[in-house]
Amino acid sequence: VSASSIGRLVMLFLVRWSRYNPYYLEPEPRKELYNMPETELTTEQKEERELKAVRPIKATTNSTTSSVFNDPVLSKFVNMMMRDGEKILARGILTQTLESLKRKQVEKYHKAPQGKKAEIECNPYAIFHQALENCMPVIGLASIQKGGKFYQVPVPLTDNRRRFLAMKWMITECRDNKNRRTLMYEKLSQELLAAYSKEGNVIKRKHELHKMAESNRAYAHYRWW
Amino acid sequence: MTLHRLFPLRLRQTVTQVRLLHGSGCGHQLEEVAMEPELRKETSVFRTQVNDPACQSERHLGQYYTLPTSHLHTIFPHGLPARYQQQVKTFNEGCVMVRQPPAVRYLLCILHQEGNDLYVSKRPVLLTLTGWVDGLKGSGKTMSLCHTIHYCSTQGWLVLHIPDAHLWVKNCKELLPSSYHTSRFDQPIEASNWLRNFRTTNERFLSKIKLRQRYTWTKRESTEKGSPLGELVDMGVSRVKSSSDVVGAVLKELRLQAAETEESEGFRLAVAIDGVNSLWGRTTIKKEDKSPVAPEELTLIHNLRKMIDNNWCGGAVIATLSQTGSLYSPSSAYLPKELLGEEGFDSMDPFIPVPVSNYSEKEFESCYLYYLDRHWLQHPHSKTDEGKKEIIFLSNRNPSVLERLCAFL
Repeated sequence: VSASSIGRLVMLFLVRWSRYNPYYLEPEPRKELYNMPETELTTEQKEERELKAVRPIKATTNSTTSSVFNDPVLSKFVNMMMRDGEKILARGILTQTLESLKRKQVEKYHKAPQGKKAEIECNPYAIFHQALENCMPVIGLASIQKGGKFYQVPVPLTDNRRRFLAMKWMITECRDNKNRRTLMYEKLSQELLAAYSKEGNVIKRKHELHKMAESNRAYAHYRWW
Repeated sequence: MTLHRLFPLRLRQTVTQVRLLHGSGCGHQLEEVAMEPELRKETSVFRTQVNDPACQSERHLGQYYTLPTSHLHTIFPHGLPARYQQQVKTFNEGCVMVRQPPAVRYLLCILHQEGNDLYVSKRPVLLTLTGWVDGLKGSGKTMSLCHTIHYCSTQGWLVLHIPDAHLWVKNCKELLPSSYHTSRFDQPIEASNWLRNFRTTNERFLSKIKLRQRYTWTKRESTEKGSPLGELVDMGVSRVKSSSDVVGAVLKELRLQAAETEESEGFRLAVAIDGVNSLWGRTTIKKEDKSPVAPEELTLIHNLRKMIDNNWCGGAVIATLSQTGSLYSPSSAYLPKELLGEEGFDSMDPFIPVPVSNYSEKEFESCYLYYLDRHWLQHPHSKTDEGKKEIIFLSNRNPSVLERLCAFL
């Protein structure tokens, strides 16, 4: 099937994940770019606008919003927590987690004496991002074959891979190591608070990975990239 | 002079009495207002120091006043909505908003004014809080009811608060056949819980009110005429099996004695029921042969219906209609006729409907400022204008939706 017929097919059934003709442009959900007056645009932006008037645009996913409260890291986390396509449930769990994080911190804030108030972080988003940062490994292991055997070789990781590993560890930890009676959002909020203060099982897992990488230092030269 | 033309005699008395109320009891408040007319800018004022509901007037609309902690534990052991209780725990204080005239202010004016007439009138004053526009779920009916109960408590009334009548007609774990009347059923757990909370709320009345009649519970146990009400309530809490009958006895005694006119012995009775439409609906409780139980066959509901009937005086009945916990009613039903049914409407008739709607702009402003003050809105964008516009759009100024939205922002 040639490229032109694919392009024509896509025009009939605009399915998101099918292979789009490169003719199609990416959608732009951010509101600020549309509110800018004519004078402030650079030449490239002016060209882009003219192009958008002519070319077709890909469909966005359901979870893209132009809301100010949109956060790509949180959306990624929700997608990773989702099972069987139940995004509403996953997003509900995340909002309950943020709420319970905020409740615990605000309660501590109101009960703390005046001097200690500035140290307590009440913003659940800040806590979430900081906790994820604390969980991200610096170095990872790759399985490389040399002379018939497989060696675990220490290897640098990309940012995406690090973020993915942090989120994956957080979610598996909360799913596996919790009491039957505790709810997911409770366990998640406990783990996030622990990771924020650099304690807890997820941080331990990150340190173990670092130790493994350190112990396998001798095989580092097996890496060729 | 215009008063004579506009209002008939009785309402004129209302207006003058209300004016006197605001003039005499809270004279110092009026002086303060005279001195600071310009400072009342809507954007900055969301709290008020006037914590006594009797002194709150139209000036305090949309402002939050603090419930003292002692009142929280005594007056509301079971009355407040669950999310509000969580909020009280988080913020370390309980703040209630003084809302618009169509809701609580009207109620308080009527109650305060009627208070002196209550001994004269032949029937209790019936007020119903209804969600008025578009089936309003979460518009603040229970909180308005709690505000009114706080007022009644501070004025020294005896408050009979049933937190959620829907809980009495569903999910009953133990159903005993009634010892008093063979065709009725008892609910010992709910009755004893309610008696315990009633005891906490009305401690000071328990020793003052004496029983008019002798009640026999079993062959060996009976409560004598002239013993204090506290003894009856204690008996109901300890002997769980006969607690529903104890509830019936307590309600009957209070009904008979609320009409007392002597100053030292008399008290005024406020019956506050949340979810009154469950009294005339259907139940989900089944008998042992799997046939459904009608609400009349439950002792607790039967006694409550007698309270709402118009044959006693000296008090007020304040009720809320709610579709949320109700059984077998469509979610779009919000009018009193639909929720109460024919029978319910006829027995509640005549009543004064008080509509409770979403926040107005001023109320929304003060709610937003309150959350900012308590460090509840933490997202950096929620403090900007754009974020605020988005919050208004998403919640449509509905109080409960706003609360849930701001919980994770």
